[in-house]
Amino acid sequence: MKEIVIRGRAVYGGVAKGEALVSPMPMMGWGNVKPELGYTVEREHPLKEVPLKDKILVLPFARGSGGFVMYGGTTRYGTNPAAVLVNQVMSITILMAMNLKRPVLTDFDRNPLEVIETGDYVEVNGDEGFVKIYKGGKPG
Amino acid sequence: MRLTDDEKRILDGRQGYLAARCMEFLVAYGEAAGAECLVDIDGTVDIHPGSNPCWVDGYRISNEEIAQAAKWGEQFKAPTFGNKPTPGFIVDGCQGCRTHPSCEPAYVESRLEQMKPLVQMGMIPTLSCDYYLTGSYWPTAGQHCSWGESSAIPWVNAVLGARANFDGCFQTAYLGKVPKYDLHLDENRAATVLCTYEGKLSTDMDYDLFGWAASEKLGMKVPAFLNIGRPTVSQLVKMNSSLNTGGQVRMYHIPGITPEASTLEAAFRGKKPQEEVVVTKEDLRRIYELVNCAADTQVEFVYLGCPHYNIVEVQKVARMLQGRTCRAQLWVMTSPGVYALAEKMGYKAVFEEAGAKLMSGTCVGELRGELPPYRVMATDASKQNYYTTGHLHPREIEIWYGTTEECVDAAVTGRWRGEWR
Repeated sequence: MKEIVIRGRAVYGGVAKGEALVSPMPMMGWGNVKPELGYTVEREHPLKEVPLKDKILVLPFARGSGGFVMYGGTTRYGTNPAAVLVNQVMSITILMAMNLKRPVLTDFDRNPLEVIETGDYVEVNGDEGFVKIYKGGKPG
Repeated sequence: MRLTDDEKRILDGRQGYLAARCMEFLVAYGEAAGAECLVDIDGTVDIHPGSNPCWVDGYRISNEEIAQAAKWGEQFKAPTFGNKPTPGFIVDGCQGCRTHPSCEPAYVESRLEQMKPLVQMGMIPTLSCDYYLTGSYWPTAGQHCSWGESSAIPWVNAVLGARANFDGCFQTAYLGKVPKYDLHLDENRAATVLCTYEGKLSTDMDYDLFGWAASEKLGMKVPAFLNIGRPTVSQLVKMNSSLNTGGQVRMYHIPGITPEASTLEAAFRGKKPQEEVVVTKEDLRRIYELVNCAADTQVEFVYLGCPHYNIVEVQKVARMLQGRTCRAQLWVMTSPGVYALAEKMGYKAVFEEAGAKLMSGTCVGELRGELPPYRVMATDASKQNYYTTGHLHPREIEIWYGTTEECVDAAVTGRWRGEWR
């Protein structure tokens, strides 16, 4: 079992673990996110209608409307990802993280999009600033 | 984050409960952002009035608390402008628009009544995504601001040379302070990418498509744009909107035009470009195909005004409609300020005679699917196009995209005849 550790900075702390869901494409909010359903409805997005619930969501950055903060609103409906790993942040990602109240990490020493694939098992430690990746799924 | 003694006193509640609550938010936000300190806002703020002039649930200041503060005579510290109310409603021209509850004048009245405490505290009710065009006051170069509209962020940073992140809210307006990070700092404002257009941008649609195509390649980077001509205000507003749809370009330079780039070298602050990006007409065509998601040429609904049309755009459509009658429903959306001007100029009557509607203060997106059950619509805005399918989800809608002229033609004839040129 190959195990990889990458380090990052927590925008929002805490610990979480779960299966990775990787979005190679940036994600957008406002009309293109349904917080109550917990997924994007962006018409050209590879994750359209794929539930984010309990996943470790990995994405390059947020694009588009400030309505991206609505991804944070998924916590209100229990449809939220367990954690978010995002390469680059700006204010709307930070405000999203404060709404999500789950670990959100950025500024990694290795690009998580190059290391993590959908289905990998990931442990996120926002308090100590690292991510442990188990390739191919949960160990044991 | 480092706080001054005054800021510590605010946090300790010595300026009252509301100021302490607002400071708690700024501290939490600033720490999450990795900001070293707060900065005093010497520019302007904008907020989305309505149910939520705060961005984070746990720090929300309730409508009751805002009403109480207004009653006590509390005032916003910084000049504060009203963005589009959220959730949306039609501020002017709602009669007969066949949407509920926005078509009811009593509903509109009640929504305007609800935001009175914010106005009493000093919020200028521009009620528009491009409030900066009608606000009659704007920040000057170098001033620190707190704005809250993705399409407006390049206006404050790139066009005006003032400094803002997307974070305009009750707390920043009330305290007149904001975390100092990202675009407030010199080092994050310099261009790092040289972005050249291969071809000639001329129509408003060209700039809308260019913004999307360029930002897909740029992501969050700061470009210096070369060979994009000398855009009009309408074209800049459209480009800024799509620069924050296809990607997240909040700051850019146009050498010789924008204030932080008197020359190309100045845009890069003396450093060399880290990267060069080329955008071609083929890239624009690809975005054109992406936002044309329709097959049925029978158009039922045409939406113009994303971002809210300025007076010259309203005038252009009024001239096109003079003496004609629309077969499809046509909404032309503007800001309340421009609506009043258009009314004075007789354009509202022109629209009414043509069977079209001039409206203000919201958009299809902000009405969140509160639309009659149209199956086929057309619009001249890539942003509105791409979000509308999401807003209406799971309801299906076909949306054409083209020039303003093609959209007006579709409204008049009821048929889509637009094509790539």
